Amino acid sequence: MQRIVVPGEELADKPLRIDNTIIDGGRTYSTLMALYDDEKKILTPLEGLWYPRGGDNVIGIIEEDKFNVYTVALDAPYRGLIFSKDVEGDLIAGDIIEATVKELDKTKTAMLARPRRLSGGKILYLKPSKIPRVLGRGNTMIRQLSMETQSNIKVGMNGLIWLNGGNMDLATRAILTIQDEAHTNGLTERVKSMLEAGKKV
Amino acid sequence: MGGGANKPELIVNGKRLDGRAFDELREIKIEANTVKNAVGSAYIEWGNNKILAAVYGPKEALPKHVSDPEKAIIKCRYQMAPFSSLEGHGRTGPNRRATEISKVTRETFENVIQLDKFPGSEIDLYIEVLQGDGGTRAAGITVAAVALATSGIPMTDLPYGVSVGKIGEQLVLDLNMIEDNYSDADVPIAISPRQGKVLLFQMDGSMSREQIMEALQMARKAGEVISKKQRDALRLPYEQIADKYKAVPSNQPQPAQA
Repeated sequence: MQRIVVPGEELADKPLRIDNTIIDGGRTYSTLMALYDDEKKILTPLEGLWYPRGGDNVIGIIEEDKFNVYTVALDAPYRGLIFSKDVEGDLIAGDIIEATVKELDKTKTAMLARPRRLSGGKILYLKPSKIPRVLGRGNTMIRQLSMETQSNIKVGMNGLIWLNGGNMDLATRAILTIQDEAHTNGLTERVKSMLEAGKKV
Repeated sequence: MGGGANKPELIVNGKRLDGRAFDELREIKIEANTVKNAVGSAYIEWGNNKILAAVYGPKEALPKHVSDPEKAIIKCRYQMAPFSSLEGHGRTGPNRRATEISKVTRETFENVIQLDKFPGSEIDLYIEVLQGDGGTRAAGITVAAVALATSGIPMTDLPYGVSVGKIGEQLVLDLNMIEDNYSDADVPIAISPRQGKVLLFQMDGSMSREQIMEALQMARKAGEVISKKQRDALRLPYEQIADKYKAVPSNQPQPAQA
């Protein structure tokens, strides 16, 4: 059984090594709003920020074109950097790109690799803590979404989602539903029926 | 601390002017996620106080010279709306009082937010008093804690604030504006409930050592009620949606643990 915990709430009366917790006086406390499973000892953040990790796929907007780097706004406390030599063609400020986090440097700047320019479409800003649910287990949810709406959807771990083509309205509605109801059961089926109903309209 | 010949009688027939007992809080209502554009937000109605808190960030600290390469900085702005109170609070823009309260609120939260996780960034915390009726700094800290929790910024605790005052020799909890103006002492206190640490302690007027200890005890006792209100406000939006579908989840994919 899972329960909703708030910052400072006790999870266990013994020290547990779980992310987003602190251990104080031999007890474990949560530092976030989260769902905690007492049996499996799993803490799932309900609200949380994105911490870049190598290999994360991100969506960003080119902020500045400097001499040999581009700075990228990631809607996070971290700024992205792309070396001009990694870019095919030219990017200009305002371009939307998809890229992969290569590494984090000491100043907490995320070095990005393999940038791809995304033209057209629109961007949704989601809570980063809900992105895993949008992707679904083994990317099943997002695959279902793109298939049913015929929309090209790129998901960034930083909370930005880019959509283009197909039934974008339906896809947007579905993604926002997933964000709002991420902590509930049977979401996959509800999204599925929502997509099917939306297609008929 | 008002005084002199015009001081009104604050305790009549063993009760306070608004009919409360000496250790009774005013009614508290807290709502989470009230400002859509903010990363985290909350709204509180504490008696006649109406306060909105919103959190933005963490984002890159600007101007650059204020940033700290070791940890995040908090920029807190407490402000009373020009229409918020009978007195002139807020009518002339930022003032000495607002600057002071912003500072003590910031220092309160520096003790509970895990600032070292976001070096070089800033967290903006706005506390806007829409209607003030005494004890706004305590209520502001209480609602700001809820707003910070909804923003997903990691915190080691959910602090609360409450004020204790002295009317004659009688200690009273949670002063309203008239009591605040004419009492013999006013002590706003903020406490981190998990560790029982006092994060804010200011005193206007004077109290004996015993009275201070008693005041702290009253604040801690009241804190149990306030903390529960905070936690309930945070859980409510999630429980409402979960109730709609009658089960709290067990088989959802786990996000990448940060």
